[in-house]
Parts: sequence; structure tokens; C-alpha cells
Amino acid sequence: MPGSLILVDLSTNLGRRQFANPVFVASGTFGYGFEVERLADISKLGAIVTKSVTLEPRTGNPPPRIVETTGGMINSIGLANVGVERYISDYLPQLQGGGADFIMNIAGSTSDEYLKVLEKVEAISTDIAGYEINISCPNVSEGGMEFGVSADQTARLTRRLRKRTERLLIMKLSPNVTDITAIGLAAQDNGADAVSAINTLVGMSIDINSQRPDIYRTLGGLSGPAIKPVGIASVYKLARKLSIPIIGIGGITSAEDVIEYTLAGASAVQIGTANFRDPACGINIINDLRSRLEDSNIDRYQSLIGQVKTYQ
Amino acid sequence: MKQIDALIVANRQLAHQIWQMELAAPDLADDITGPGQFIEILISASWEKPLRRPMSIAGYTDGKLTIIYKIFGPSSHQLSQRAAGDYLSIMGPLGNTFTINNQLFPILIGGGVGLAPVWWLHRKLEAAGTAHALILGARSGEEHFIESQPDKNILLTTDDGSAGIAGTVLVPLPAILANNPNSMVFSCGPEPMLRAIQEFTADKQLPAQLSVESYMACGLGICQGCAIKTDGARNKPFSLVCTDGPVFDAGELDFG
Repeated sequence: MPGSLILVDLSTNLGRRQFANPVFVASGTFGYGFEVERLADISKLGAIVTKSVTLEPRTGNPPPRIVETTGGMINSIGLANVGVERYISDYLPQLQGGGADFIMNIAGSTSDEYLKVLEKVEAISTDIAGYEINISCPNVSEGGMEFGVSADQTARLTRRLRKRTERLLIMKLSPNVTDITAIGLAAQDNGADAVSAINTLVGMSIDINSQRPDIYRTLGGLSGPAIKPVGIASVYKLARKLSIPIIGIGGITSAEDVIEYTLAGASAVQIGTANFRDPACGINIINDLRSRLEDSNIDRYQSLIGQVKTYQ
Repeated sequence: MKQIDALIVANRQLAHQIWQMELAAPDLADDITGPGQFIEILISASWEKPLRRPMSIAGYTDGKLTIIYKIFGPSSHQLSQRAAGDYLSIMGPLGNTFTINNQLFPILIGGGVGLAPVWWLHRKLEAAGTAHALILGARSGEEHFIESQPDKNILLTTDDGSAGIAGTVLVPLPAILANNPNSMVFSCGPEPMLRAIQEFTADKQLPAQLSVESYMACGLGICQGCAIKTDGARNKPFSLVCTDGPVFDAGELDFG
């Protein structure tokens, strides 16, 4: 109705934690957050998921590490990161001043490594909102993915981590599996508060002149708008089987994409590749989402979750 | 460093497949530090090609920023079709700069699409009245947009001998060095050229700074995509072109 003014409630809940809005930024696409402060008011974001942190620092894979593809990009960074000790000493203090909720993404090659990283952070005083566990990185030879493709390993890892934290615990799922819902259920049944889906799809491209792969490690992870339909389908399938919230990831560039993921069953979303093009895009998407819901007279974001009207 | 929509003031062809664009970017003035710095350009609003393109700055005067670019694919072609009066989304300035050593004679070497930062350095040295040499290399004469002026140490080379000196940018170097033994080389260009300059300067024990290019997503050190091998330099096996570079001491780089 023209002239009417409704106050849209964009808040959303994951576990016992409430977030001001459902638009998060995905791990590995926003650094540790403060790198972008000069370009955008990061405190407006629903949450910042920081780059994967491992027990020891990692230098990453040899170049070339990225290549642009139609509607997307392939990366094989190899979890280059500063390691948990420096994350705690140098990065956490800066994050805490930023005013945004942040979620720490953890990667490891053995379950003990995941555990140790989480324990080290739990041992200090921090206002970190929770953890996203990367069991789905396709770009390291050891670990990571082997958890993400096995329901049993996901169950064991989730159970062990759950015992060590009261904070929000999110398992990040891979699309490179036969049945993503089996992995999602394993996470849910062992104490995860939420799952996020999807990580990158295994992708490859070849320079036909040199006949070499465009990525040093041959295969990489495909992200960007090209994978959005796979993300939507994964969220939809998970939402039909799981009772815990799902965070939708994959190719989001607009408020319309956020709504689409939400209709499929997402309670929140993460923006990934689009941050590389415009680090401030998350803020614009939040504003657009608010206007879009206002225009449709929808006063509560959460009322859209899972509302897709299927034909059968 | 800012992200702005910059007004295109001019966009014109300089030589075969070589174009120059001038952008109104007064808001970047405070962050401009010198040749070597680059901007990330969003060529098209379409998501078919999601990433910005890194491009070296070829000049910055009175709030106007210049880029010189070579047409070698659909994106650079698209850029050449943009008209004065349009706006272009740019992010920058990013990266570090060449560092002139006042004790050493600067020899500037640019090749192909990599001539932009070298051109800017040349113009700055020229404006400051600092003696230096400039060597620009191309495949053929039609790609050159200036005339050679040997009396001013401005030398052109072409692979096919159609203009200036026949051969690579290394050909005129010994003669310049004979007159200026205490020199330092500053260069940007295709990797085979940089590799040759690295070998040459190492052999002659000449200090050299090379500006390198890489595939890049964010330009901010976040994506870690523009890593290059730096053979242990700066205490790490890989460095990021965007935040550690794009200018490196020649000895730091490992072209593999």
C-alpha cells in the first residue's frame, strides 16, 4: 500500500543465537573482516565468517591459484592462513573492535587438529559468536574433504566438537557427495546447531593453447553465480530432512538471491565470490532486502523460510 | 583506497591494439603514491565475468587518472567501447611503487601491455628533470605510440625490426650501461621479458625492480589468489602481487 510504513524485522536465529539480519559473508571471501573496513561499514553485516584457520600456519598451494570462468571462478588456495596462534594474538583483538558478529571458520586434516584449534579459542575470553567447521575444502590433499564426504566421520567430529563448546556450531557441507542430506543429518544428530551449504563444487578448466590446467593443482573449487542452482537445490533437500537451521551459500549477488535461498529453506545466507568484486555488496544487499520486503508487505524475514510452493 | 564510479573523460586508441583511458578520480588523490600502483576495474555489470581487472596506473595529474591498456580479449575490447561521459567502477589505488635510488641512473624498460607504470615513471622523471633512459619494446612498430629519440635516451625496440632497434629490449642495454655504469633497472612487461631482465641484471649485478602481473580476484589480500613464487624472499615462499607487490626486487622473484 503506497505511503504505508512497515518496520521489517530482518533478524534471524541460529541455535540460541539471534543475528540482526540473515546476510553473512562467507569464509575466505572477506579475510578477517577488518581488511574491508575502509570500504564498507562491516558492523551492518549479519555476521562475518572469517577465513579458515588451521592449527599451524599454512602457506597455501603454488600458483596459479584462481581462474575466472563463465559466471564464476575456480580457486585452489589451499587454506593459506596465519594459524590459530596468530589468529588469537593478532586478529581476534581487531575483530572484536569492529562491532560485527563474527564466526570463526576452522579447518583441519585430522579431527584432533579441529579440536585443538577450537579448544585454544575456547580457552580465551572472546565474544566470538561461534564456529563454522570446514569439512568440505576440495583444495588440500589431506583431510578436510574426507570428513565432509563421510556421514560417520562427520558424526564423530561433530560430537567431539560439541562437547567442547557451548557456542554456535555450524558444519559446512560439501556438494561433492552422493547425498548431502546424509551428511547434514549426521551433523544434526550429533549436536550441530546449524549447517551451511554449499562449499565449492570441484571444477577444472584447461588453457587449450598451452594444454595446461588453469590451476596448478589441476582441480579447484568452483564458486559464483554459476553454482547458485546447485546451492538452492542443496538447501531445499536439506530443509526437507533437517530440523536445524540451514545457511545457504552459493552464487548470491542480490537481495532476490537471498529471498530465493530463503524460500528454499535457508535461515541465513553467506555471500562469497561477489565480495571479491564489491566488498560492500553485502551492505547493499541488506538494504535491498529490507526495501524488497517492505514493498511486498512482509514484516518478518523469517516468515519466508522454506515457503517455496512446489507443484507436488 | 576507495571504490568509486569514475567519469570517463577520454578513451582513445594510441596505436595498434593499444588504448588510453582517462578517468576523473579526484577522490583518490590522497592515496596516490606513485608508479607501480594499480586499480581494479569492473568492466561490465554482467556476472558472466565476475571479477574486476587489475590495471596499472599510467599517470595521475590534477585528479585525472590514466590507464594504458592492450586489447587482447573480450574484456579489454569491451573497455575500448566505453565512451567519454560513461562511468566506470574502479577500486584503488592498490599496491606498492617503484623506488628510485638517487645515486643510480634509472633505466626504465616497458614491454607490451606492461608499459603503463614505466610510462608514468618516465613522465615523472621527465617532469622532475631527472636524467634517465626509457626502452619500450613491442612486437612491431604499429604497437608503438611514441617516436624514438636516441639523443634523449628514449629507445624503441621491435621483434620484427619494423621500428626502432630490431630485437628485444635487452639489445640497447649494453650501450646505455657503457655510458651509465651505475644504473638501476625498473621494468614491467610480459613474464618472458621480466625473466630475461632478471637474468641480465643478476649477471651484471645491477639492482632492478620488476612490476609483475597476475590473475587477481579481490586486490585486497583477501582471496590469496594472486600468489607468486618468491623463493623465500620476505620470509615466505609465496607473496601476493596485490598487497606485497606488484613491484618486487628482481632477486626476490622465482619465475620457476
